[in-house]
Amino acid sequence: MNLPPEDRMAELRQLFFESANELVQKLNDEAMRLEKSPDDPETARSLRRTVHTLKGDAAACGFRELSELAHEFEDVLTLDNPATTALVPEIALRAADVFAALLEAYRKGSKLPGIQPLRTEIARLAHGSSSDTEKKPRKKSAAKAVRWSEYEQLAIRQAAATGRRVHHVVVDVDPQCGMPIAGRQMIQLALTDLGELLALYPVEGSPEPVTRIEAALASEKPAEQIRAKCSIPTIALNVRVTPLRTQSLSAVAPSSAIDPSKNEATAAAPADIAIDAPAKAAPVAGEAPAVPAGPDNLLRVDAERIDSVLNLVGEMILAKSMLQQALLEFGQRFPKDALRGKFADAMAFQSRVLNDLQHSVMKIRMVPVEQLFRRFPRIVRDVSLRCGKEVELVVRGGQTDLDKSILDAIAEPLTHLVRNAIGHGIEPADERIRAGKRARGTLRLGAYHQGNQVVIEVSDDGRGIDAAKVRQRAVAQGLLQAEQASELSESDTLELILQPGFSTAEEVTELSGRGVGLDVVQSVLGRLKGTIQIETLPGRGTTFRLRLPLTLAIIRALMFRVEQRLYALPLNVVAEIARTVEEDIHQVEHYDVLQLRNDVLPLLRLGSTPPRGPETARCKVFVLVISSGERKFGLVVDGLEGEDELVIKALDDQSITTDLVSGASILGDGRVVLILNMIALTERFTRGRADANGPRMTGLLSSLPPAASRAANEMLRARGLAGGHA
Amino acid sequence: MRKFVRVLVVDDSALMRKLIPGMIGEDSSIDVVGTAVDGNFALKKIEDLAPDVVTLDLEMPGLNGIDTLKEIMRHWRVPVIVVSSHSTAGASITLKALALGAFDFVAKPQDVSARMPEIAAELIKKIHAAAQSKGVQPQFLPGDTKNRHPDKLHPVAPTHIIAMGVSTGGPNALQYVFSKLPAEFSGSILVVQHMPDGFTDLFARRLDDCCPIRVKEAQSGDLLVAGRALIAPGNRHMKVKRLPLGNVAILTDDGPVNGHRPSVDVLFHSVAAEFGSQAMAVLMTGMGEDGAFGMGEIQAAGGYTVAQSQETCVVFGMPKVAIERGFVMKVADLQDLPGILQERCAPDRERADRADIRRSTSAGSN
Repeated sequence: MNLPPEDRMAELRQLFFESANELVQKLNDEAMRLEKSPDDPETARSLRRTVHTLKGDAAACGFRELSELAHEFEDVLTLDNPATTALVPEIALRAADVFAALLEAYRKGSKLPGIQPLRTEIARLAHGSSSDTEKKPRKKSAAKAVRWSEYEQLAIRQAAATGRRVHHVVVDVDPQCGMPIAGRQMIQLALTDLGELLALYPVEGSPEPVTRIEAALASEKPAEQIRAKCSIPTIALNVRVTPLRTQSLSAVAPSSAIDPSKNEATAAAPADIAIDAPAKAAPVAGEAPAVPAGPDNLLRVDAERIDSVLNLVGEMILAKSMLQQALLEFGQRFPKDALRGKFADAMAFQSRVLNDLQHSVMKIRMVPVEQLFRRFPRIVRDVSLRCGKEVELVVRGGQTDLDKSILDAIAEPLTHLVRNAIGHGIEPADERIRAGKRARGTLRLGAYHQGNQVVIEVSDDGRGIDAAKVRQRAVAQGLLQAEQASELSESDTLELILQPGFSTAEEVTELSGRGVGLDVVQSVLGRLKGTIQIETLPGRGTTFRLRLPLTLAIIRALMFRVEQRLYALPLNVVAEIARTVEEDIHQVEHYDVLQLRNDVLPLLRLGSTPPRGPETARCKVFVLVISSGERKFGLVVDGLEGEDELVIKALDDQSITTDLVSGASILGDGRVVLILNMIALTERFTRGRADANGPRMTGLLSSLPPAASRAANEMLRARGLAGGHA
Repeated sequence: MRKFVRVLVVDDSALMRKLIPGMIGEDSSIDVVGTAVDGNFALKKIEDLAPDVVTLDLEMPGLNGIDTLKEIMRHWRVPVIVVSSHSTAGASITLKALALGAFDFVAKPQDVSARMPEIAAELIKKIHAAAQSKGVQPQFLPGDTKNRHPDKLHPVAPTHIIAMGVSTGGPNALQYVFSKLPAEFSGSILVVQHMPDGFTDLFARRLDDCCPIRVKEAQSGDLLVAGRALIAPGNRHMKVKRLPLGNVAILTDDGPVNGHRPSVDVLFHSVAAEFGSQAMAVLMTGMGEDGAFGMGEIQAAGGYTVAQSQETCVVFGMPKVAIERGFVMKVADLQDLPGILQERCAPDRERADRADIRRSTSAGSN
């Protein structure tokens, strides 16, 4: 590893956060398992080990608060106190939350969350333990009272034995005192004047702060005089002088001057209680079979590095397109040249390898959706507990692979859907029993592959969504007019609940409603070029079905022209392509439709509507039939350019002000293509249909500021890629 | 071609499995051949990869560290360096691991951003020492015996001050020696064992529990009495001082000497200065050269100096340097050390006689 230290630290930090988050998740799992079977010693051990590892990792990276907190918790777990075992799962869950919050704060460099409440909880765990109740007061007194060293004890005894008076002088140092160390010096001088100073604490040069000075002084001076001498203004806040009785030493050193007897040695040392603990804590040899350990040859790689490889693969694909373009031109110019065949073979070989390479790299980015699903037992537990409902979580398809960045992005929407399902979908037990269902609701979380997509489903067996109520609500909330509402199809109606500001619950609950609706789901899916479909059966339950691309970086896209500009859509949303002429497009109410076989297909125009007239009537257009969720509509475009694999380059928000474009790519010949955002298009379509005065159903892309396309071009050119003629 | 030291890193923390190889990989002659997440994997990888040295975390799922260590000692006897956590429990289990034959231990890395080079250097040094060591000899591993000593220690002034310096391999060697000294041993022992803060106290208690003599982690002001060994606490130097009412150990926070705190040289130097011919220095197993210089000072001051033999050292480093410099009056096997200590500390008249004889005979006989 020859990285410069700072790079290595950054890498280590990254790794720390990853594995720490995993450990916190593991802590959650183990705490819940322990909640279910509190007597399982292996789970308890495993939980303790998790805390232990977290402690060590945090300490290695210098995250002291986390490390110390984990340490405290581990210590308490080590006590293995039967009286408090029942409290462990609950506190472990809370600890997991606090650890997660600390991690988040460390990562962002933000203010650390308060940890005192958890500290108190942990202390309470320890409290039930007998060894600890003994330990506490002792620890305190040890901190307070100075323990004279063996030599000092000897000196005190000898002084007393020769008939001298020995005083115990305690000076509380004024907290305002600016120079406590100099203050100590002055007290020492004063005491030396008064008699023989047998001992003085803190000792000179001690690193501990001087807040209190204690001395053993052999002196014939009366206590009052000593007190007065030591009461130096601005240094001494309070001075106590008491006779130091040698009997009081007997507890420390019985019978003889130096007899650090066995009993004393162990009883007085504060750290002794833990000596026996590890024996108990250390797993017994030959017990229960090992917890399945992960494959050991796993390699952790920063996601950014994989991204950069994928990015390069993307550039290679561009290069391939460019070569292919060149080959095409070459073939046209020298159709009979033997070299052409050689080129073509080499190209074919290269593109096959490139294809494999691309898939291999994409596979690296794939992680099982399990990584996300793992969080849900805890969420379901907490939410159902707070809603007072009984909910069973059934998870399927955890092994389904998904691009890591997509996985990260859907975490929040999925959480939202799950909370929503428990809060609103699943009925309270009594209501369920009345409806003839099991008292305990079931929430299913599933994932599977379908074609080039991943489908994630959240379904409950609750009351379902009442479309009529949704309509009412939408009208009441001013989202649409009553007459429009009545025209909406079932699936269109259901999608209203994804609109910003919509809420079906009678009251906004703390957990699921939070004042915002499910619009977060919609907007995230838009970003991911995914779709959402809602299925509901009143009284039987609701299923939210999210369809997501396998990866964000490369899509198979259909490219088309609208008003001389090049655009693309993910191929999988295009159900079919129809050719037609302008005169076959009819107007129904305020939107265009096309008769497609037996269906009437509503249309959305990407370009502006041409003026009606004989000269445009025979004008050929293409209609892309889009199937998004339950909805079908047509996109009118001017011409098709074919399909290709596009490497998506994100555009920064500044250069693109419309949500209609989600990214850009570049073709082999250097032309720039803008990739359209399916969700935004669908949303325009829904809104447009619902409201005659709503957004225009036509000329969507005409209104696209030229800046967007220019910015995309600039961006790509900066990479030395774009040709001049985009 | 240079021979690589092949290391297997065993730790259940993913972070440590990255961090530790990263740190020791800095050394071009160390090759981390693999990592393992728990004991079962570790045993398999030892079989497959035949590493020269294993670093072992003691807290692991599945087959835990102690059981793993037992297996390693039973079948392969690969030197194991324990990576120990900072807690009383961690210290205790670490000492147990040492008693089972672990070569040495390092504290789990803490705050690596600030202390990376230092932590790495220590681990690298120990790995090299482990690779060259012939390992811990089973006959010197302590048994389970509990040796009870009388509860009360009678404060008798010692006949001699014995300063001992020891590092890698020390815990077992010291336990071996102390367990063979009688409760009424007339010397007062001071030990610098290279060991971090947090371990020495527990270590002293363990020795106290199983040896006839008393053993205690030193505190400033502790009296030097017969039949007791004081162990310098981790991260502090120990010196001695003659005071009117008795002789005491003093702890200081001066900077590390020879890279160590406590340092053997610091102790030896102060013992030489205060006790001269009443002093005896013993250098035992351990790497480096801490103590060699101080041993010369004790010799020069008229004290007696003994080094542990190469055959019985886990690492023949510190004694070797002292021997090479001519500061050692007697080289002894570990099993002979208790006898030598008792002889030297025998009541005055006898001792003087024997000492004269020995000085004339043994000085040149090494």
